[in-house]
Amino acid sequence: MMNRGGYFQSALGGRMVASLTGLGLVGFVIFHMLGNLQIFEGGDALNGYASFLREMPILLWAARLGLLAVAVFHIATTVRLALRNRRARPVAYVVHQYRSASLASRTMALSGGLLLFFIVFHLLHLTAGLVDPSIPNRLDAQGHLDVYGKVIHAFQNPLYVAVYFAGQLVLGLHLSHAVSGSLQTLGLEHAALNRLFKTAGPAVAVLVVLGNLSIILAVFLGLIHT
Amino acid sequence: MKFTLKIWRQQGPNEKGGLATYEADEIGPDMSFLEMLDGVNQRLILAGEEPVAFEHDCREGICGSCSLVIDGVPHGPDRGITTCQLYMRRFSDGVTITIEPWRARAFPVIKDLVVDRSALDRVMRAGGYISVNTGGAVDGNAQLIGKEQAETAMDAASCIGCGACVAACKNASAMLFVAAKVSHLASLPQGKPERARRVTAMIEAMDDEGFGSCGNLYECEAVCPKSISVRFIATLNREYLRAGIVESGVPADPETPHAESD
Repeated sequence: MMNRGGYFQSALGGRMVASLTGLGLVGFVIFHMLGNLQIFEGGDALNGYASFLREMPILLWAARLGLLAVAVFHIATTVRLALRNRRARPVAYVVHQYRSASLASRTMALSGGLLLFFIVFHLLHLTAGLVDPSIPNRLDAQGHLDVYGKVIHAFQNPLYVAVYFAGQLVLGLHLSHAVSGSLQTLGLEHAALNRLFKTAGPAVAVLVVLGNLSIILAVFLGLIHT
Repeated sequence: MKFTLKIWRQQGPNEKGGLATYEADEIGPDMSFLEMLDGVNQRLILAGEEPVAFEHDCREGICGSCSLVIDGVPHGPDRGITTCQLYMRRFSDGVTITIEPWRARAFPVIKDLVVDRSALDRVMRAGGYISVNTGGAVDGNAQLIGKEQAETAMDAASCIGCGACVAACKNASAMLFVAAKVSHLASLPQGKPERARRVTAMIEAMDDEGFGSCGNLYECEAVCPKSISVRFIATLNREYLRAGIVESGVPADPETPHAESD
């Protein structure tokens, strides 16, 4: 017997879609952070990596479209669930006290929404170069696009440092609940492994945020320069 | 002891409700929370006013009738107990206590602090049973069940269906309740034949009643009077996945065999 609306139309099925797509996005975020850390190897390494990705346009665009599809599924599902949850309690409590829920777990919709704004901003800023017209868009000595120069230029400006810093904090907040929560939603629970599953979320969040912040701060403090 | 009570008063399901303030005097520290309310009601009756409607039955923590949100926490400040097991010595003398009903779309207020929890019964009717032939009772130990299995089933079966999990949940989700019922039956041999149909039917029924979805905040576990673990929610999720993957080839059964007519 299947649900009338289909397996994934139930609230729990929706949660599973949100968890799977969310974990996919977490995978991308980790990969993105590791790739970007190559900035510490110098301009040639980062620009070489960027041009390596662009050398395979079909693969690059397949990955981009796949990522976009995953993100769209994630957002559409979580918005549907959030609206449903809002309807589930039409009259709010006059006094309400949380006993164990973390701040991150209570603000997933807010942090997710802010994260979407940040991602759009980030794409317009560093990928499309539309936010800041003064961002350099030139080739380096090897004839690769100078991504290194773009990053250095961006994070010498305290305004962008502040925006990205805030974005990273929101990302960390979202991930710290998302990963462990997704594992539970997918039924991954075992007496011997629960501690690992519970720490996975905060650990991934700290790793990604520290990795990304190290780039921003290194540029801002002048440790990396052109 | 002396308390100021702020109690949710609502004449009927479609009436507008609000908090009313009452003074509770001469309260003994060893009175239960419900006995304290009995005292308040006695005074209201003597004064010719309408007493506060609240649900209660066994008053020993096993029936799941009492259902008060006390200062923002279902069943009050202590863990692992129902409202009737809460004693007034738990509160400081002279404090103000706010009392509200369970709040969820699936639990409409009938009057004051009494809500209609039959949504949980309808979820149970969708699949919270095992189908057995009637006849002579089966011998006690005809079917041996391992100690661990039995303990897991008993832990889940300790749910009294009070609905505190729904009341505490940010999303008014009944996942811990459904998880307890599904895990209880799925961990015993008698429950295995119908496990796939049960979990899909109960999840569907839960959605139909207007409960929210689980965001893994684990507030339910923290307020459950029987301290039922959220690991049963993971078990429920596994059962649902299993039903979707392993048993998706089972032909559809349009009618639940034991569905009652409304």
